[in-house]
Amino acid sequence: MGDAIEYCAPEGLEGVVRALAERPGAGVLLAGGTGLVPALKRGLLRAERLVSVRALRSHRDAARTPDGGLSVGAFATLREVASSTAVRAVSPALAEAAQQTASPALRNRATLGGNVCLDARCWYYDQSERWRASRAPCLKAGGERCYANQREKRCVALFSADTPAALIACGARARLRGPGGERTLPLESLYSGDGLAPLAKQSDEIVTEIELPASAPRSGSAYEKWRERDSIEFPVVGAAAWLRLGAGDEVAEARIALTGVHSGPLRLGELESSLASRPVPDAGDRDLHERVGRSLGRLYLAEAVPHKRHIAGVCVAAALSRAAAHAVRSAP
Amino acid sequence: MKQLIELNVNGQTRDVVARATDTLLDVLRDGLGLTGAKRGCDLGACGACTVLADGRPVNACLVLAFEAVGSEIVTIEGLKGAGGLHPVQQAFVEAGAVQCGFCTPGQVLAVAALLAECPDPDEARIREALSGNVCRCTGYVKVLDAVRNAVRGAKGSA
Repeated sequence: MGDAIEYCAPEGLEGVVRALAERPGAGVLLAGGTGLVPALKRGLLRAERLVSVRALRSHRDAARTPDGGLSVGAFATLREVASSTAVRAVSPALAEAAQQTASPALRNRATLGGNVCLDARCWYYDQSERWRASRAPCLKAGGERCYANQREKRCVALFSADTPAALIACGARARLRGPGGERTLPLESLYSGDGLAPLAKQSDEIVTEIELPASAPRSGSAYEKWRERDSIEFPVVGAAAWLRLGAGDEVAEARIALTGVHSGPLRLGELESSLASRPVPDAGDRDLHERVGRSLGRLYLAEAVPHKRHIAGVCVAAALSRAAAHAVRSAP
Repeated sequence: MKQLIELNVNGQTRDVVARATDTLLDVLRDGLGLTGAKRGCDLGACGACTVLADGRPVNACLVLAFEAVGSEIVTIEGLKGAGGLHPVQQAFVEAGAVQCGFCTPGQVLAVAALLAECPDPDEARIREALSGNVCRCTGYVKVLDAVRNAVRGAKGSA
């Protein structure tokens, strides 16, 4: 990491936005640092100025809104998100996703905004400079080839953050602030689906707040994560489900979002519609497992595609089943 | 960009010169000679560099030194009990929970933070607290024994 990099920690959000805008393309936001510092060490990020949020007192809390929804500051740590009673009440899926991210020490630093803005990851990209120097750069590093799937002309890096799937399933919106002002958008729209640049925002725009709508009566959510070991790891597949039950305990409405399968979070819109007016599926429903696997569309990975489809099916069915249990418990 | 910063480490104010990109681990080990926190993966994936920041475990390899200004940092060198060793350290010694020792400072600090927050944790909570600290000697059984003994000892002396 270079000697020339500057560091500043402005006291207000306006100061942070200004400090980033003063160095277009060269200023980088520093929140928890758990994603940024490895990227700097690996030479994946060329920054000239680190703009820290450590002096900010705002945008760190999770609080209920007057309409019964939830507003979570982007700089709340994942530990705070996972343990927040407000988060657990409005979005059990978000609390579960935050709790299952990384390790306790990482969750003490990592922020919700950082997780939402996590770069897409790839075995051939997330390596040291020395490791990567053994071959020509990959597409994501500015080269011309994708090593993860040499038949593809596109970057196939996987979006692997846990909390965005949960947030999208629960209908979240993101509030962004930049030199041009503030805007909010459905969180789903923040993602481009392009492994090279997975975030559809300007580099000097920062995510400041995540907003969730009030829980509908008889609704619930859950997040299921499958990973190679039960700590630290990114998901092989993460699945979040939100559903609302009808008067006869059938599915009235459902939303499903996945992580770890494409270069952005993936909504399963058609599958969601097919669940409406039907009984809540069982976690072991093999027909559903197969339908989920088919509904992922084309996966651009070179290997393990059937494996990923199967795990996605198992995770979605389990998430739906637990979301329904939450919905029943939340019934007035 | 080098700058003189003031860190609170193990209850003492320490002045160190750091670059913007130096990590807390860099200044603890190379600037202050506190080598108890180990450099393992250097990417937050092993827990060998664990220190406490305001009572909570963090990976010192991922915290920039500038970001640690204003926090109370405790390294394994600063962990003390009434008679010398901290009760968690004593429990590790008595249970034989140390093999090569590389992961031990991080594990001890992770457990000390857990017991400070929750003196009577259940098994799931203990395992969760240690889940970011990898032991490549694979010696987890005796580590868990040590933590259970430390919990029992704390109850006995309460």
